[in-house]
Amino acid sequence: MEYVTPEGLRTDGRRPRELRKLGCQLGTLESADGSATCEMGFTKVLAAVFGPRDTAGKLHPDRAVVRCQVATAPFSAGERRRRGKRGPLATEQAATIRETLAENIHLELLPRTQIDLYFHVLQADGGILSTCLNAGMLALADAGIPLKDLVGSCTVGYLESTPLLDLNYIEESGGGPLLPMAYQPNMDKILMLQMDKGKLPVETFEVLATLATEGCRAVTGQIRQSLMNHTKQLAVARGSV
Amino acid sequence: MSERGPVVCPGDRLGQESNYIAGAGTYGREGFIYASIVGRQEVTSAQGDAEKKLPIVTVTSMKGGGKVVPQIGDVVTGRVTRLRQQAAVVDILCVGERALHTKFQGQIRTQDVRAKEIDKVTIPTSFRPGDLVRAEVLSFGDANFYYLSTAKNELGVVYAESPAGVPMVPISWQDMQCPQTHVRERRKVAKVVQNTQEASK
Repeated sequence: MEYVTPEGLRTDGRRPRELRKLGCQLGTLESADGSATCEMGFTKVLAAVFGPRDTAGKLHPDRAVVRCQVATAPFSAGERRRRGKRGPLATEQAATIRETLAENIHLELLPRTQIDLYFHVLQADGGILSTCLNAGMLALADAGIPLKDLVGSCTVGYLESTPLLDLNYIEESGGGPLLPMAYQPNMDKILMLQMDKGKLPVETFEVLATLATEGCRAVTGQIRQSLMNHTKQLAVARGSV
Repeated sequence: MSERGPVVCPGDRLGQESNYIAGAGTYGREGFIYASIVGRQEVTSAQGDAEKKLPIVTVTSMKGGGKVVPQIGDVVTGRVTRLRQQAAVVDILCVGERALHTKFQGQIRTQDVRAKEIDKVTIPTSFRPGDLVRAEVLSFGDANFYYLSTAKNELGVVYAESPAGVPMVPISWQDMQCPQTHVRERRKVAKVVQNTQEASK
């Protein structure tokens, strides 16, 4: 299969270094303390934050505990089937998201509390981890939890000797290496970088890491814009412009 | 005094630590002050001797303040929900003057009810379910409860209803009376002062 045509177009008509359309909505779930829906192309994730609330169980007197669960809807991908939230993949994704987002929270300001993060993958078309991280970032900001910085995430891959940004499902199944990255733009710090599948020469890896950083910067720019817009809408709604 | 600024996001640099004091919704790192929540940036000039003190920079969320959780030493307001042999269980509602967004449970143990004669304290003669109580957070306690203390004059029951459903009037530091039925009940009564901050000075 051909992933990049001689004209330099991908299966969905994008250029190799082009992000998919990013959609962010805040406050999509009324009952949560903070919530957000994030769309990257056809991938769509709902994130809900509950807390900081009284701990139920394990106690840390000096900081908050973050818990995380990722559920995938049966209708999220091509074939309809039950996709658990306790399977090995969901557990691993949940652990990665928890560690990454917890690193960005001022946990020491919320002692003896817990923060619960729930993710629901509504549509899966590649880049689930990145979309979850972006949705989680938005939901945490919506909940008003003290954060160190913004976090943006995107995935890069390498197919047919071409570095690709923000892969969709067809490209993720292409067998090349996948590098999801989470990045704090103001602190210029990489929070998370994985390499799933395949191997890479170091030179290519560096090219991909740079591309991922640029992609994350672009994503955080849009996250920032949507947070600002939401805040301004709230200000208008409350009549405190 | 306060100057309203632009809307900022977490990680936005607000100024240098040598020029401002980091207030609510901000944090300091490597000599700079950054926002930690989404909201409007405000700068409050220092009260009193303006030349010595630095202005305070804060970020205020549009969803009604940042998140508050009880910390050790905070004075909290709560409602007594049930009594045990050795402690009264309290739902913490407010920290200082700020309302909490969810319920936090605390308990006032017999030894923390008052400062003197603590071995003569019994819980039913100090609190009743439904009372509103001012208390101080002693410690984060065990897995289930914050430990609270009312062992100060200004701490204790601030509002209680008699069996007739009428707010009772304090008549001593350990008695309250119903103005209608003249029923007396025993409480650990708080000496309510107008401004607790001034009282502690």
